[in-house]
This record gives sequence, C-alpha cells and structure tokens, in this order.
Amino acid sequence: MSTEVPLLNVQIDGVWMQFPKGTKVIEACSQAGKFIPRYCYHPKLSIPGNCRMCLIEMGMPKMTPDRKPVLGPDGRPEIGWIPRPQISCAQDVAEGMGIRTDSPLVKECRQGVMEFLLINHPLDCPICDQAGECRLQEFSVEYGNSHSRFLERKVKKPKNVELGPRVTLDAERCVLCSRCIRFMKEVAKDDVLGFVDRGGFSTIACHPEKTLESNYSLNTVDICPVGALTSTDFRFKMRVWFLKETKSIDVNDGLGCNILIGSRENHIYRITPRENNDVNGNWIPDSHRLNFKYIQSEERILAPTVDQKPAAWTEATKAAVAKLKAAGKLAMIVSSKLTNEELYLAKRLATALNITLHDTLPRFETPDGILIPSDRNPNTSGARLLGAFTKEPGAHLKEIVEGVRKGTIQGVLSLGEDLLDCGFAHEDLLKLKALVVTSILPNASTKAAHVVLSGAAWAEKRGSMVNIHGRLQRLNKAVEPAGESRDDWEILRDLLEATGTVAALHSIEDVFRSMSQDVPAFAGLNLGKIGDLGLQLLPKQETATVTA
Amino acid sequence: MEYAAGNGTQKAMTPPANLLAKIEEAISHYPVSKRSASLPLLHLWQEHYGYVSDEGVSWIAAKLELQPINVLELVTFYPMFRREPAGKKHIRVCRTLSCAMAGSYKLRDELAKSAGIDIAAWNAEMQGHAHGDQGHDHSPKKITGHAVHNAGHGNPVAVSPDGEYSIEFVECLASCGSAPVAMVDDLFQENIRIEDAAALWKTTTSQANRVLPTPPHPREHRLIFKNIDKQGRGNDIATYIAEGGYEPLKKALATKPEDLLEEVKKSGLRGRGGAGFPCGTKWSFIKRGGPKPTYLICNADESEPGTFKDRYIIHQDPHQLIEGMVISCFTVGASLAYLYIRGEFPEGAEILEKALAEARAKGFLGKNILGSGFDLEIYVHRGAGAYICGEETGLIESLEGKRPYPRIKPPYFPAVLGLYQCPTIVNNVETLCHVKHIVQMGGSEYAKIGRPNNTGTRILCVSGDVQKPGYYEVAVGSLTLGELINDVCGGMKPGRTLKGVIPGGSSAKVLRAGEQFKIKDAMVRLEDLPMDFDSLAAAGSMAGSGGVIVMDDTRDMVEILNNINEFYAHESCGQCTPCREGAQWMKKITDRIVAGGGVEQDPATLKNVADNIAGKTICAFGEACSWPTQSFLAKFKDEFAARSTKALPPPMPPEYTRDELIQHASIPSVSAPRGNGHEVMAPAATR
Repeated sequence: MSTEVPLLNVQIDGVWMQFPKGTKVIEACSQAGKFIPRYCYHPKLSIPGNCRMCLIEMGMPKMTPDRKPVLGPDGRPEIGWIPRPQISCAQDVAEGMGIRTDSPLVKECRQGVMEFLLINHPLDCPICDQAGECRLQEFSVEYGNSHSRFLERKVKKPKNVELGPRVTLDAERCVLCSRCIRFMKEVAKDDVLGFVDRGGFSTIACHPEKTLESNYSLNTVDICPVGALTSTDFRFKMRVWFLKETKSIDVNDGLGCNILIGSRENHIYRITPRENNDVNGNWIPDSHRLNFKYIQSEERILAPTVDQKPAAWTEATKAAVAKLKAAGKLAMIVSSKLTNEELYLAKRLATALNITLHDTLPRFETPDGILIPSDRNPNTSGARLLGAFTKEPGAHLKEIVEGVRKGTIQGVLSLGEDLLDCGFAHEDLLKLKALVVTSILPNASTKAAHVVLSGAAWAEKRGSMVNIHGRLQRLNKAVEPAGESRDDWEILRDLLEATGTVAALHSIEDVFRSMSQDVPAFAGLNLGKIGDLGLQLLPKQETATVTA
Repeated sequence: MEYAAGNGTQKAMTPPANLLAKIEEAISHYPVSKRSASLPLLHLWQEHYGYVSDEGVSWIAAKLELQPINVLELVTFYPMFRREPAGKKHIRVCRTLSCAMAGSYKLRDELAKSAGIDIAAWNAEMQGHAHGDQGHDHSPKKITGHAVHNAGHGNPVAVSPDGEYSIEFVECLASCGSAPVAMVDDLFQENIRIEDAAALWKTTTSQANRVLPTPPHPREHRLIFKNIDKQGRGNDIATYIAEGGYEPLKKALATKPEDLLEEVKKSGLRGRGGAGFPCGTKWSFIKRGGPKPTYLICNADESEPGTFKDRYIIHQDPHQLIEGMVISCFTVGASLAYLYIRGEFPEGAEILEKALAEARAKGFLGKNILGSGFDLEIYVHRGAGAYICGEETGLIESLEGKRPYPRIKPPYFPAVLGLYQCPTIVNNVETLCHVKHIVQMGGSEYAKIGRPNNTGTRILCVSGDVQKPGYYEVAVGSLTLGELINDVCGGMKPGRTLKGVIPGGSSAKVLRAGEQFKIKDAMVRLEDLPMDFDSLAAAGSMAGSGGVIVMDDTRDMVEILNNINEFYAHESCGQCTPCREGAQWMKKITDRIVAGGGVEQDPATLKNVADNIAGKTICAFGEACSWPTQSFLAKFKDEFAARSTKALPPPMPPEYTRDELIQHASIPSVSAPRGNGHEVMAPAATR
C-alpha cells in the first residue's frame, strides 16, 4: 500500500483539525467548511498568488528558546499570529499552524480586493455571458461592498477580441488572474497567451502570428473566473441559469471525458468538462465539446422506415426480423459507439438470429499527446467484453465484405455504422437481400436499407461504456430523442422479441441486471453503483495508450 | 543610430553581420538559459534600427527559440523599447519628483517649443492615453503623425512634424541632486537651465562623467566615495591598482570563505538598497556544497526616486564595485554573477563592460583567479526602464527574460529558489562595495564606524529645496537630519523654511517640519533625528536607500503627492490586484484634486485605498506606493482637506462624472437629467 502520509494538527477559526501533510491551506479550509474565495488559484495549475483574494490570517506556534511549542491552558500550542495577511493558495499546512478565515482583517482584505477588481470593470452583467456563473458576481455579493466610491474614468481596454477561432476576449472584464496563460503553457503546451502593457493597463493578448488555435482553447473559457473569455460558439445564445446540466460522458474517443451537457427545452446549448481526475482532469478537447450540433441537425432521421417508406415501430421491427430471417446467411456490424447495454442486447439478438459472423469498425488514429487517445471509438473495451467482435476489432470486416460480394452472405444488420465506412462499396449494398440499419443520420447505408430504425443520439439516452483504461462510466439523458426515434436498447429488445425470444426487459435497469447476470465482469453492479465518476471495472491497463 | 531605408519599415529581416555578431556575443553571456538574452537582444535591435518592429519581435523570438508572445510581453512592458521610430534626436526628460520640483515640466515644454512640437495640442490629445484614464489601445500607432503611442507601458513620445526631434517624459533618471536632468539620446545632461533648453538638441557631449570641483564636506567620512570627484583621476584599472586596488581581493582569496562570511557578519553591514537587511545573515542562508550552483547578482537598478549614489560608483570607480563583487562571489561560492544595471545608464553599462574586460585581462576575473583555483564570470545585464526590477525577485525574473513580476515568498526566497531556481544572492551596488572595505580593514574595525546595529558609512543623497543638494557619505548616524540639511547642505534656500522631508527615497514616509518623535522614552525633534536605520524607523519612516528629498514652504503637498502617485501608478508591474488597481486609483484621485475636483470624501477614500494596498501585495511595492499617500494625508491633513471641499451628496457614482466634479463649483443635490440615463461620453478627442 501507499506510504502513510502523516497528519498535521491545524487550527482553523479556533477549531483544531487534522490534515494530511502536503495539503494546501486553501484546500484544508475548504475541507473544514471554510471556503476561501479565489480567482487565480486553480488546483491543476501553477500558483502565481496574484489575485490576493485568498488572503487569510496565519500563525505558527510560539516557540520557547529551546524550540518547543508554548502550550496554552488547553494543552494546545499557542499561536503567534503573523501581522500581515497571507495568501492561502501558496502554502501547505504545517504542524501547529493557525488560520483565521473570518477575522475582521480577512473581511477587510476581501472587501478591498473586491473593490479593486470592480473599479475598472465595466459592470455589464446584463449583457455578459458569464453572468450566473461569475466569481466576480458571487464574491461581490458575499464579500464586496454595496456601492462604489470610484469617481474616476475607467481604463479603456480592447473588447470583442478574437483570440482564436473559438475564444473571444473582453479585456475590460478581465481580472488578470493568468489562469488562461498558465493553462495554455502548462496543460495545452502551447504558450500563445501572455500579458501586454503594464500596471493598470495590463491586458491578456496573443501575438498576431500565433493565436489561440489549440484544440484545448475552450478550456480557458471554463477556467476564466469572469466574463473575459467567452466561447464564440456559446456567447449570446442562452442565459446559463436556464440551462439544465446533465452529467454524462463524451463519446468522441475511448477516454470518455466526463462532461456536463447544458440544455434547455430539449435543445443542447453547450458542453463543458466535468472534473474527473481518473479520466480527463478538468479538461476536454474543443473538437469534442463542440461536436454535438449533428444531434440537432435538420437531417435527423425522425422515424423508422420500411423499404424507404415511413412505418410504425411495431411494423418496422417485425419487418426487419422477417426480412433478415428470409435473407439467408447473415452478418452483423455493430458499432463500438454503442453502450454496453446495447452491445449486450446486440449479442443476444445475433444469437437469436443465428448470426455467427459479426464485427465492429475500429477507429485508430494518432493520439494528440494530451487527452485524445488513439482509439476514437468510445466503447471498444465494452465491445470486447461483450463479444461484439472476436480477436481484434475489425478482424472479420474483410471476410464480411467478401462474403457479401461472393453472395455467401445475403443479409446484414448494421447497428450504428455506415457500411461504406466498413469497406463496402455502394454496389455491395444493392446485392443484399436484407439490409437493416440503425442510425440517427442519413447515409449511404440508410438510403440502401430495407429497414431503417431511427435510434437515439448519445445525449438522448442512458447507458454505460467502458473506457480505454477499463473504467465503467455512465451516459445520461439530457434531451428527448428526436421525433419518433427510440432509445436503441428498446429497438434491440423489440427486435429480440420479434425473433420469438421473451426478453422481459422493461427498463435500462432491467437490461443492465440481465447483463450483470450473464457477463461476469458486470456481476453485482447496476447503473446506480457506477456513480457520477464511474468505477474501475477492469484492471487499469499499463499499455502505451496515451492520455493526459 | 542607424535607420533602415524608408520610414517605419524595417526591411532588413536578416540583421547585418555586425549586429548578428553582437547578438551571438550577448547570447553567450547566458549559458544557462537563452531566454535571458531577450532584453539584450531587444536593446541591440533598437540601437541598430531605432525601434523594435513586429518583425524584430518575431526574429528575436525565433532566435531564442521562444514564442513571439514571450517577446511581445517584454516590448510592451519596458518603456525604453519603442515599437515605432522616435525622432532622429530623442530627448528623455525626467518627470519624477526632484526633477519636477526643479522645473522638468517647464523644461519639456520649452524643448517642445524649440523642436516645433505643439505640446498643448499634443497634451490634449494624449490626455488619458499615457497615464490616463480613458482611451488606450495596446497597439502603438501614430495618433496625429507627431506622436508615438506607447501608452500602456510608457509615456507617449512626442515627435516633431519633420520627424527630426522627439521628446519623452521618463521616470527617475537617478540624478536627483543635479535636477533637472535629461538624456539626449544616450548622453546624460544635468542641471539643465530651462532657458538653455533649445541648445540641448545640439548636445554632443555627456555630463555623466563630470567631476565636481567641490571637496567633500568636513562632516563626511568617505569610504565608498573616496575616489569620487577626484580631479584628473581616471576610472581605468591602472589608476585603481596604483591606489592599492585589488589588494583586498588577494587577501580575500587567501582566506577561507567561511572566515570571510564571519568578517561580514562581524561588520554588521546592512543592505544599502532600501530594506537594510543584515548582509552577513543574507549570505549565511546559502547552503554551500548543494547540488545547484549559486549565483550572485549586483542590483544596479538604482531607481528609488531621490537616490543617486550607485551612478557615481559605476561611472567613476567601477573597479571598486567589481572587486567587491569578486570577493562576495568567492565568499558565497558563486562562479557566475550578473550586474543588473538600469537601462537608463547606457554609459555606465559601457564603463562596466570595459572595466570587466580590464579585470579579466589582469586575471581578477575568469578561470583560476590569481592562481586561487576560484573561477568567476561577471556579465553586465541592462534593464529597460522598470522600477520594479529593483525588487530582487522581479529583477531575477527580468534577468530570466520574463516580465519582471516579483515572485511570491514563500516559496521563492532567492537564497533558495533564485535565478534559474538556484540559490542566489542579490545585493545593492553600495553594499558590495562595502564588502571590499570590510575585507580591507576587518569586520570589527569596520563595525567601529557608525553606531551599534547601524555600522559603516552610508551615502546620503540630498535633493530638493536645499542650497547644496548632492551626495554626502557619512558614518551612519553621525549626523542628525537638521545637521544634514542646515550644515552639510547649506540650509534652505534664502527666505524659505523647511516644510517636510522624505528621508529614504520617495516611498519612505514623509516627515513634517516641527514634528517630534518618541524614541526610547525621549521626545526627539525632527532636526535632532539621527540619520540611521533604527532612528528613522522609530520615527515611523525609514532610512531606505538614503535618498533625502527636502521640501520648503512653497511646495504644494497635494501636487507633490500627485507626482509621487504618478510615479508609482506608472511603475506598478500590474501583477497583483491591490497595487495594480490601487496605485492607479490613488493617482487618479490626487490628479482630480489638483485639477480642482476634490470632494469631501477624497482624503478618507485615499487613505482607505492606501490601507487596502499596504501589506496585501506580492512584493514591497505595495508599501512603497501606499506609504507616501498614508503619510502625506496624515502629516498635511489640512492641505488635503482644503482642496477636497466639494460636497458630494449621495448617491455616489455613476451620477457624477470626473469632468463635472472638476468643472462645477458645487455639485447639485439633485443630479442633472441625462437623456437616456447613460453616462455622458467624453468628447472624442479625450477618449
């Protein structure tokens, strides 16, 4: 086991508590229920100590001449308080340390800093996107003054500056905490942001030759404590207090960044990262967070079709099974973008339809060295676990394509993949006696299919996935499936029942329960047990998969 | 200066061979990190081309394997760098307190007149741009064809319509005793008579190396300044050696470093830069024999307004400093040292370069110094016009090629995590010179000079309203403030009386004439206050850097404070909130009071703003910028009250604009209707 971390005795606002050595004072106070306001401090970044919002009173035990602590009547060390306030972000707790977070001096410090931060601030909350999640607003209410004493002209700074393709700067709102600069340098490894000018004119900027183009640029918007950096995509679209935040996971790659889906009235407005130190830390690539527009696309397939004509669900499922059964030898392509529950039912459906040849479409690309791994399928681990493919993903794809071309395979069931991506040519599809596909958007396969079953997008459903490190994580439903579309597990259940199997599955929980009985890896689990941060299902692989 | 053909474009993207050679040489001075060469390269670029173009920024960044923003951050911070050409002849006029008291504003106006610059129109246009409060655009550009816009990090440069002449206000040039002073290109000029302003444009000689004919005052005890103002004495190494120079170095090299440290401790030497920290104690923080190298930095960024001592050591006796540095490096075990000299001393930097080369040639520097086995290299590193580089951790950041943002302490104590995160000693020029004398005479003998805990000599720099301003080296505490002003400096000017005195550089708290201080149960009059560290601290001020600024009864204390506030607002690095916002706010308040817009609340607000800065910032600049306001308000309460009389009925802003406060004799209790309810926009010209 890990080496024992010694516990240190610390007095916070008169109460003695214990904290592990190495705990930052600001974190210790939070743990003690004494939240310390802060702007520049971020646990994942280096510590500049520049905002001065986290000033507290600090002291160390009074020492006798032979360096022993002087004990008070309660047997505890007597504290010699440092007359100057100290920042709490830059120091670790120490044995016998005293901290005051609610003294008159601390209140005065916070009031002073709040006033300083606001004198040159435009106070344009009514038109500011940060309103509602702005630390200036929050701390102003909590620690600031009710009125301004500032009679001078405010400093004029650049506004509406496009720092990069996705981030817009309003320098007048900036509190110069340098979080964005440090993030770009330390996490994104792309040192493009800096300060120009000095003193009261200091401004965040990038050099025109090298702008904020990193695929991680929008994380600066997340960590900006004020409305200085805003997302060009999201700004002016929706007041944040109207957004419903759904905890889910990203499906753009095998890491499964934890996210919050911000939606209102069945419409997704933005996606922001959700802290999970076992997965993505606090970050997410821009490419991933912005990749949700297709869910709301005009192109969405809104209802099932049979022979390219709209059909009712019962008719469509029955037709799908009948056509497949009548076709002859079958193969199944199943996407590794499916949830565990869907993959489990797919496998059962394959058995019921006597399909022995099935595979998944692998998507491996160069990792970005930060968060994005080589596997761009979100649930390859789940697909492996649930037998969606044998050997390696994609090992049998060629065999399936060849079979169709030779005419030895007459029917294909494609769950979530366009066959053209899997090596099929367009004329191959026309050879099939039965092509049944599930999809949310039209593609060559849906246009050639005999039955199209309109499924739900990842933000429209619940379920679980296993990431490249073997971590089981949950998807949650932020919005309703578009049109007549149905949750994929229901489609698969109905297909299964249409084959004559009695499934007796009435909810996603039922599916998981059934899966946990059949697949040993899931034994004893249910969706509730997975929790918001997921749980380690498989031993964490030591393979060279690159993540942060 | 050599200008590329065509105005405003730098066509030569590959610098010429002679410049390239200088660039390579500069880079070689920083074996640990090329980034440190950023400032030297920017200087070289500007010396060659006249300004630093966007191409220059990119070229330097590429050369040093940096991102272009890393270099842009510097160009926009240090006021000495221009992003557009100035006039062919460029004059920098010192704007800071002692020079302002000696008429530098008038001097600037006269210079403008003689250069054909319409300073009134220019002022109107610039109002609010430089220090101001309104418009500011961070990309420098010509506003009317006769101004280089440097707002945001420097004062704007006024250029004559023909492009021949340009004028710039700069902050303290560190020669307050010979105010007003200016720099014509790199040539230093002092004691400028306003009526001779026009002649300045034709100056071809510097006055930086002038030698004063007056002998030292009998009350002086010259140790460091022994060789200053000696007629006919050169600053070369032969002269220095003939006087017995470098003998103490030989003695030191034959002594164990631990014993040298013991001597320094015994001497009781306290730092002469401002904080007065015991030098031996500072040095003993260095753990010898660790895995990291130790560095020593000489802080020659003399920039505390009122202080002008290091200038003369550098110009007239550079070898004394170099010898002190070599001994100090030997003592703390440093084999690489930098001499960080302020950008405004270009002539001083050249003298030091030459002196270092001489010392190297004689074997006092380099490998195996005088056969001792001790190696040492010292390089000169030039700043570029930033007061904050006098703060030791800001200086270290600057030397690392970054914006000189002071570091948080803990954890970045220089003795532990200094230059390149290695143990580093930073000492003032004068302090390092004292080390030479301590070795020469022995620590105990040195400690006999001065008073207990206030040992040695110290150079007092007196400027302002006295008959004989200048530098006076005295045994610490051997003079009272009254003796200094009335005996040594010849008293106040005829018919004038003392009103106040700032005893240790402009950040030291002001003392008022007639004040009495309780020191060790005795009441001491201002005139009887001994000029030592402890007495001045007991009087609620500080000995600081030894810059004594004297003000007589004709001075308007509100204007004096406004001048000081302008300095600190301009010099705040902007890193941490209270100082960045507060220094500028205090300046805006005093500026408005001076302009006639003082309201009843102003003194209380000013004091409270200052209180909210002091003790709450990363570095001591917080105190430096708030102590003047706190002390002037406390000591000259009536003057501030008399100028802050307009009643301001609640509610406070946004009901009243700054301009209304200035223009209207009284503010109506019911605010005037404002149409749509928005604040009235200032006229375009002032935005």
